[in-house]
Amino acid sequence: MQVKIVIGTVAFMLTMMILGFAVLREPARLSQYTDAAKGRSIEAGAHIFENNCATCHGVDGDATECYNSAGEQVGCQGLPLNNYDLLCGDPTYRMGTLNWAGTKEDFVKTTISAGRFGTVMPVWSEEFGGPMRPDQVQNVTDFVLNWESEDLCANEPVRYAWPEAAADYLASADGSAGDATNGAELYVTYGCSGCHGDTALEGSNAVGPWLGDIADVGNTRVDGLDAAGYVYQSILDPNAFIVPDCPTGPCASPSAMPGTFAARIGSNPTDMADLLAFLLGN
Amino acid sequence: MATIFEQIQEMGIKQTVITKLDETVERLTVGMNINDIRSALRGDEPRRPNPRLRPHADSFWFHIRPSFYHTEVTHIYPTFRLGWLSTFMFVWETITGIILMVFYTPSPLVAYSNMWNILGNVPLGQLMRNMHRLGAEVMVLVVALHMLRTYITGSYKKPRQFTWATGVILLLFTALLSFSGYLLPWDQLSYWALTVFLSGAEAAPTPPGIDPDVFNGNVLLIAQGGPALGAGGLLRWYLLHVLLLPLLTGIFFFVHYYKVVLYGISLPPGREEIGEDTAKRVPRNERTYFTPDIATNELMWSALTTLFLVAGSLWLWDAPLETHADPVVTPLHVVAPWYLSWSQGWLKLADKTLVIGFIPLLLVAFIVMPYFEVGKSRRYADRRIALTVAALFFTFMLVSNWMGSPEFRVNSSPDREVSIELLPEEGTSAMLGVPYDLMPEGTYLPGQPISGNPHLTYALEEFQAAMYRHSCTLTGNSTWYECVFDESTPIETRKYSNHFSDDVMPDPTAQLVVEEIQPGLKKLTLKYKAVSPANPEEFLIDAEWVKYRHADSNYETECRFANKSC
Repeated sequence: MQVKIVIGTVAFMLTMMILGFAVLREPARLSQYTDAAKGRSIEAGAHIFENNCATCHGVDGDATECYNSAGEQVGCQGLPLNNYDLLCGDPTYRMGTLNWAGTKEDFVKTTISAGRFGTVMPVWSEEFGGPMRPDQVQNVTDFVLNWESEDLCANEPVRYAWPEAAADYLASADGSAGDATNGAELYVTYGCSGCHGDTALEGSNAVGPWLGDIADVGNTRVDGLDAAGYVYQSILDPNAFIVPDCPTGPCASPSAMPGTFAARIGSNPTDMADLLAFLLGN
Repeated sequence: MATIFEQIQEMGIKQTVITKLDETVERLTVGMNINDIRSALRGDEPRRPNPRLRPHADSFWFHIRPSFYHTEVTHIYPTFRLGWLSTFMFVWETITGIILMVFYTPSPLVAYSNMWNILGNVPLGQLMRNMHRLGAEVMVLVVALHMLRTYITGSYKKPRQFTWATGVILLLFTALLSFSGYLLPWDQLSYWALTVFLSGAEAAPTPPGIDPDVFNGNVLLIAQGGPALGAGGLLRWYLLHVLLLPLLTGIFFFVHYYKVVLYGISLPPGREEIGEDTAKRVPRNERTYFTPDIATNELMWSALTTLFLVAGSLWLWDAPLETHADPVVTPLHVVAPWYLSWSQGWLKLADKTLVIGFIPLLLVAFIVMPYFEVGKSRRYADRRIALTVAALFFTFMLVSNWMGSPEFRVNSSPDREVSIELLPEEGTSAMLGVPYDLMPEGTYLPGQPISGNPHLTYALEEFQAAMYRHSCTLTGNSTWYECVFDESTPIETRKYSNHFSDDVMPDPTAQLVVEEIQPGLKKLTLKYKAVSPANPEEFLIDAEWVKYRHADSNYETECRFANKSC
């Protein structure tokens, strides 16, 4: 019996020593598994992204396939995600344009979950009627955020400096040669027609005001701005003046119009002149 | 009776404290004071009247245990401590399970992230999970062995038939407890194991005159808590696991143990006359008293088992955790847990409905067996038929288990089989286990040696070995076995085979492409091509398999338990 007591005591002490060892290595192990959880989430997100998101946002997330050599959008509709504007800074540039008050992760997750109103970005979370489970939305969010790196964020992109007044822009080299025909195409490819409808067909506007008569109406909207000045201001800063009546009732404030056009058109600034030429009919 | 102040005045503080302590200990142990405990531990003879027997009469916990055993049954043989060990495992599972319950919510929304929380955020959480999971497997094994031993020593015979019957039910509950816990992590492993299990319920035979679709459909509806396994099903299986099954197991355990104490543990078959049961008639000189001998023995085994389970959970084995349960993605090879592998084997032998119907019949047969097998002798020499039947049944179960093993699975296309071996959807592998930094971007061929990089070289050797098993040659390429095929089939639809596998790629080319697509994230692509012998422009196989590998994903650590050198 004494032997049994000794064996039992030794076994008990060994167990305690092993537990002590386990406790000592625990902090390192915990952080290893926390990282692993994130790593595996990113891996799962990569699979989902490749199968669902890459068509519009590009396999590499830079949406390069979406633009031709002239920088015009072709085919797909997604914004670049492997991108300074989405990932760098706090708040990031795109969060700023949408007045986003939450975190960067919330921004990406919410956009994936609920889609982006007024664009072709669909709803993805099954919470809102999409196909993805919440954990899958989290996976894709982790994957998209993983593009952030020191290299990507080292250099802020040079943004086009829009002149304060429309007249100054129209007098500049970029603004002087508006092409209404090209403007008509841009009106569709920038997605304007999705909300504002066909300019030739009154009442075709789904969300925003109809723009077929903006050449006249634009003169009366804001004191001190002619139609060109008003449209120019509204494209660059949709919240500067919000029209009282929208097709769906009183227009929402802040404006439902994305604040991203200053940046998007800024990468190809002559487009503004074309759009103005088309909308104002000259 | 003097008050405590009078005692202090009389004896002084020190003596009073010692006396009070002694009284307290005597009350707690219901009869043994400190000196009695010390003398018991020293192995001294007890004083008269024997204080070591009083707890068996007066205390709750000790009254459950007999005050002495027949010395013959206190050795390793004939019990092998298996019944005691089963009880220990049940208590062990209860304790570790309750701790895990604190960190678990039975909802598909959070159950899986709870698992990662336990692994990465709860101190000793992984150890606790490993101990619970390892304990579950050990418990199934121990209970099954306990039953086997009881059969072999003939201990189910009169008067212990009912003890045996409750034991069979306890075996069933143990398997169900283990299996119901399977679903809770809500990963692919759990989801598909239970889905396969429930598809059995769908195929179960129905009572005559009842529409099987209605009957089994409703059984399935109840078992999975909805038209598909989801939130309702998880909650049901959770409640089964933590509430109903432990409760039933506890009830049957106490019935079982009451009968064990009532009839005593049967002596080794050769130790008593044929037809006699002398377990309860123990001569004085053959008694081993619970205090101190059995108690210290059990404490020793508790310490040793705890040591094994703790060390095993830390170093031998990690509980698996696969990716999040996904009802729309069926893993290529769904395997039953090892203790149900025999049922997968049976499904290869006979019709599903027949197999599912046979299992409850078998259970009933086990339960009633001692009422029909009424041979008087428990001696091995007199039980040749019974022992032969046992040996045959045991062999049959082993073979069934083997038939249910991945060895006999239905293979997918050869390129997918290679892919699954190298870059599996779940778990780790030689290729995934290559440390992130030792997997530079580039294109690699099977068997290509990479100087200064033994990990990648090993992975590529495994790649070559896998290709070897799933390839054959039509052109005399000495790397592979000759292709075997049926001449009568048209060349366009011909299936090729080799020495190992019955569907293979003829003269394939394969490569591994590694690209870094994000900081810390690599895309590993396996590419296969096999040209059709009928038309050189056409490919029989032109396939790719993609797996992403993050720098922090920890496949290297997982490797060390997977019996794979990475």
